[in-house]
Amino acid sequence: MFFIPGQVIALLTFPGVIIHETAHLFFCKLFKLKVFNVCFFRFGNPAGYVIHETTENFTAMFFVSLGPFMINTLLCVIFCTAAFLPVWELQVTDPLAYFYYWLGLSIGMHAFPSTTDLSHLWKAAPALAKKGNLLAILSLPLSAVLVVLNYGRVIWADLGYGIAVGVLGPLAIFRAFARM
Amino acid sequence: MSQVSCCECSKTVSGGEAYELNGKVYCGPCVPAAAERAESAGQPVSVTRYVDKSICARCNTYIGDGGGIEVGNARLCLACSERVQDWPYPQWLKLSLAGLLLLLAFALIHGRKYFQAGKDLYRGEQLVEKGQFKDALPYLKATMKLAPNSDKGALLTAKAALLSGDVQTAAQVLQGHNNGRFENSDKPEFLEVKRLWSNANTAFEKLDKATKLEAQDGSEAEAAKLAHEAVAIYPQLPYANLLLDEYDEGVAFAKKDYDTYLALAEKDWGLVPASRTAAMISSALACKYAVSGDSTFRQRSEEMLAKAKEMANGDKQTLDRLAEFEERNRYRLESRQIITKSAYDQKFRGAKNAAK
Repeated sequence: MFFIPGQVIALLTFPGVIIHETAHLFFCKLFKLKVFNVCFFRFGNPAGYVIHETTENFTAMFFVSLGPFMINTLLCVIFCTAAFLPVWELQVTDPLAYFYYWLGLSIGMHAFPSTTDLSHLWKAAPALAKKGNLLAILSLPLSAVLVVLNYGRVIWADLGYGIAVGVLGPLAIFRAFARM
Repeated sequence: MSQVSCCECSKTVSGGEAYELNGKVYCGPCVPAAAERAESAGQPVSVTRYVDKSICARCNTYIGDGGGIEVGNARLCLACSERVQDWPYPQWLKLSLAGLLLLLAFALIHGRKYFQAGKDLYRGEQLVEKGQFKDALPYLKATMKLAPNSDKGALLTAKAALLSGDVQTAAQVLQGHNNGRFENSDKPEFLEVKRLWSNANTAFEKLDKATKLEAQDGSEAEAAKLAHEAVAIYPQLPYANLLLDEYDEGVAFAKKDYDTYLALAEKDWGLVPASRTAAMISSALACKYAVSGDSTFRQRSEEMLAKAKEMANGDKQTLDRLAEFEERNRYRLESRQIITKSAYDQKFRGAKNAAK
């Protein structure tokens, strides 16, 4: 295991940071939450942020907190799918494919929501889960796993997630596609 | 920073050092006691930092008391209020996202050939997993045209080819792949292909020896033994059964067991009706006529020879071979003498021809 400063990682994978914050902003706007400030990328910790008003609406809270996780994961799968075959399976030298893989992995690496986002969800979810709110039920295990993975960033869990999604996602898609 | 006065001690402090509790402003030292009193009185206890509502909380523009719009605990100027209600996507972000979409569309168009090759690869892999090696080969060959350096593709193609008896394709794929080099030679897939390739080569070496021995009178049994060993090592050899039967026919001929010879020839004819198997039956029937004198065998032998010629479809090499055989067969039918080819060559064609 080796240490690379977070700012260097953020710089190398800046598209992921921008997509993550854009997704936050998108869901804030979708649920009509007031946004006080947005930083799509900077050399600092955190590399980007969206400051928005708090809400009692759990659906809004769920999507604003976990939206970037879903959007980044989806885009990671899409871009890696475009590059997966030539890079991994066909071993064709195609610079464009490597560019897509970098883009896909950069986006996938920044899928994890911040612990602050998760903590809001974690506090609100149990009471609603008891009432049978499906999003609350879903958010409990998801938040738990994501909190653990967030701490795992020191051992490159974010990169591991990006690679897993960028390899296993396209693999599943193509295997299903081949059966058709 | 604005100055405010504490409602408890009347001390004037800066806005940054003041707190709010139930609508009243307190300085830092007074707020804990005020909070305790509120709690014992059953009032809500929510201490927040003092926000100067005479300036915009976002841009610090002076808006005066009662100016601007209240958003939560803060007061914003009109411009900031509009921005906060519906934060716009920056122009560069919109352009970047449009660019990203264009890139994605281009990736899909550019990647069509890869998707097709990948689909063929996975289809081929699935067929290999089901043991349908011959059916898998066309898909895998199509993949290898686009990606000759794909380890996975090359190993799957070589495996499918070797397990369906197509050694030539396996050789082409393995030699055409990075000059026969693979990234990870410890992988089970690589080791499996290596084993199959080695078996096929050993089998062909044995068959080569068997072919040479077969041409020598008295070595038929040894040749047949080598052929059986070859098929045991590499059972996917094309027409393995036919090949073994031909060697066993040679053994039966040498032992003068013409019934077995005829039975094997007829079995092969049933399996593969072709010029070669028709000629084999013709030869076996001629032997049966020679030892029995039963003219039915002679008639059938001549009929099968005619069929063999017909099935040659004008192929010069096959017709030349049949012409050579016809001469010997005629001798067998007319003289009722059964002699080997080398004996016939020595007797009628001279040493020069016999050596051929």
